[in-house]
Amino acid sequence: MAFKAFGIISSADNTVHVEGLHDYRPIGAFSFLGRFRVIDFPMSNMSNSDIDRVQVYVRSRPRSIAEHVGSGRHYNINSKRGRVQLLFSENSSSRSIYNNDINAYKENLDIIQRMHQEYVIIAPSYMVYKQDYRILLDTHISSGADITLLYQKVDNARDYFKNCHAITLNKQKGVESIEKNMGTANNKNIFMETYVMKKDTFVQLVKDASWTSSIYTLADIVNIKCKDMDVRAVQHKGYFATITSLEDYYNASMELLDYEVASDLFRPNWPIYTRTTDSCPTQYYETADVKGSFVSNGCQIEGSIENSVIGRSVVVKPGAVIKNSIVMAYATIEEGVHIENAVVDKWAHIIHAKEIKGEPDHPQYIKRQDTL
Amino acid sequence: MAQNEMLAMILAGGRGSRLKDLTTKVAKPAVFYGGKYRIIDFPLSNCANSDIDVVGVLTQYESVLLNSYVAQDGRWGLDSKDSGVYVLTPREKADEGLDVYRGTADAISQNIDFIDTYDPEYLLILSGDHIYKMNYAQMLDYHKQMKADATIAVRPVPLKEASRFGIMNTDGHGKIVEFEEKPANPKSNLASMGIYIFSWKLLRKMLVEDMKNPNSSHDFGKDIIPRMLGENRGLFAYEFKGYWKDVGTIDSLWEANMDLLDPKNPLNLNDPSWLIYTEDVSTLPAYIGKEAKINKAYITQGVRVEGSVTNSVLFTGAVVEKGAQVIDSVLMPGVVVEEGAVLTRALVAEDVRVGQNVKIGSKDSEGIELVAKNVKGGTK
Repeated sequence: MAFKAFGIISSADNTVHVEGLHDYRPIGAFSFLGRFRVIDFPMSNMSNSDIDRVQVYVRSRPRSIAEHVGSGRHYNINSKRGRVQLLFSENSSSRSIYNNDINAYKENLDIIQRMHQEYVIIAPSYMVYKQDYRILLDTHISSGADITLLYQKVDNARDYFKNCHAITLNKQKGVESIEKNMGTANNKNIFMETYVMKKDTFVQLVKDASWTSSIYTLADIVNIKCKDMDVRAVQHKGYFATITSLEDYYNASMELLDYEVASDLFRPNWPIYTRTTDSCPTQYYETADVKGSFVSNGCQIEGSIENSVIGRSVVVKPGAVIKNSIVMAYATIEEGVHIENAVVDKWAHIIHAKEIKGEPDHPQYIKRQDTL
Repeated sequence: MAQNEMLAMILAGGRGSRLKDLTTKVAKPAVFYGGKYRIIDFPLSNCANSDIDVVGVLTQYESVLLNSYVAQDGRWGLDSKDSGVYVLTPREKADEGLDVYRGTADAISQNIDFIDTYDPEYLLILSGDHIYKMNYAQMLDYHKQMKADATIAVRPVPLKEASRFGIMNTDGHGKIVEFEEKPANPKSNLASMGIYIFSWKLLRKMLVEDMKNPNSSHDFGKDIIPRMLGENRGLFAYEFKGYWKDVGTIDSLWEANMDLLDPKNPLNLNDPSWLIYTEDVSTLPAYIGKEAKINKAYITQGVRVEGSVTNSVLFTGAVVEKGAQVIDSVLMPGVVVEEGAVLTRALVAEDVRVGQNVKIGSKDSEGIELVAKNVKGGTK
């Protein structure tokens, strides 16, 4: 079936910076729940929704995203009829205020205009949720709206959803405004940075935004257009996480350690695809003690793990204790090391620091390839 | 296309009837092994890792699953422009009415046209039902170095067991002087592994002649190799010392899985320079529940353990519910062990459900219990 929409996977705003992890890769390439990367979720949503033309926007450090997304074949996207394009914004540095989504779209506007599909679905590479975009598109078309947004009601917006937008709605689910979540209240409608509209509307918004201000984002221009365009919102229910700060990232993983929550996100009829690394199963030794955790393949586990997410090929030596933590691929935790409330980046080797302890609301971050 | 120096042909027609219910629906090469693999992943990955680009897989029994499995050549990375894995089924010939290959050599003979399209210098012949890691490129180097007509991979077996195998007697410099199938009084302990490299030009000629010979059983071991020896051709034994298993029975399949529980096992599937590739699955990582107990186990992604697992191998999607115990056992993909069930020394086939409080097997049972059908649970 030739689907009516093409997909755009957007890159996070230049005001978003996730402590530590973000220094090495864009958020889409962050490891998530051991064997996934954050971008696997929007990519799988697109693929499962029969969208086989997807543009992935990459703002900086493209290596990890380019390697991971590749041809898109592992996302079940055929390579002739379908296509995954990686598009870069090359005209400004990653931290520049000009390096935002509108400028990235403007640089690639000819490519966008050449797409055959009538509609575009834009989803962020830095949020995790499950959504059938076919349903969203049907809702959008039958409502006659100009733009349809996706949002979720949350009750913890003071502490989480940092750097995200919140929307205000009128009684008819019409969007009145889109503004940054400043943590002023717990109950908010968090905007999932997901848009459905006609391609022509999108192109016009990109042009309007850049005429109005060089630093306007797509959310900024839609906020302004709320007054004279029909902008509506659809409520999403189920697991939703934003990866826009270290705390949000950590919390997103900890929530999924409840198997019921995880099985809501991972349904057999809605597979989450990723690139395989062909690692072998994990070896649990006689001394291993593992509880309440997700463990990826290729690990060697001799120590204790509780309530944690363990990435691929992690080595946990006897006597090591990992609690309430995220340990990414290829890290080695040596004998007698105690890690609690921490995010340990890839290839880290922890030998000498016997105690690494963060706070539940502020995890300790250990750098990539660091030896401690 | 660029010439392929060596083409591989995998004989995957083995029925594996001693594997009982595990092979009623699938051919032996498609049987699961090692948590996430199928046996045929080993020769296919070995080919990919040995820089062999084109592999023909010869199937015959119950091969629908094997055919569709093997057709996904991307799994083993054999997906470049000139690479591929091709399933070759027996050609039905109007004048014969035979729909199966008559012997191992016949399987190759019937596909001479396929091999000719690649015009290889050498042909590698493998079995699809052995578990081992081997660099065929090194074997080819040896073949060239010896200026051999054929090279046969052999492995040393204990002399007292040698009468169970096809034994190669050599002149002490690797040249094979005699081949004895299951000798009563073995003169050597070098057993054939069913892995051959032939110089294709010579083999092609011999196969064409063999096809016309009404007295031939069209088998490499019974006809081609003896004839080559009779003609005093250069046949050399290539000794392989690594881990190698032919899992012919339930007990040996169980045992081969158990071998993986030793972190220092010689197969070492964790070697990043020689990975074994397989089907990719979209599952969560393994989930180990809050009350779970794991003591020595080999567990792959998609598994969920809420109960206790001791000295066992758990395949993709297997579930051990609360209060269930899995001891010295192998759970194949999708197996569910319900609450309170206890499995000891068992091998549970794909997608089987073991009901609540069911007890199967015992610590001192001699053989391994094969559980191939759902077992209804009792009440508490």
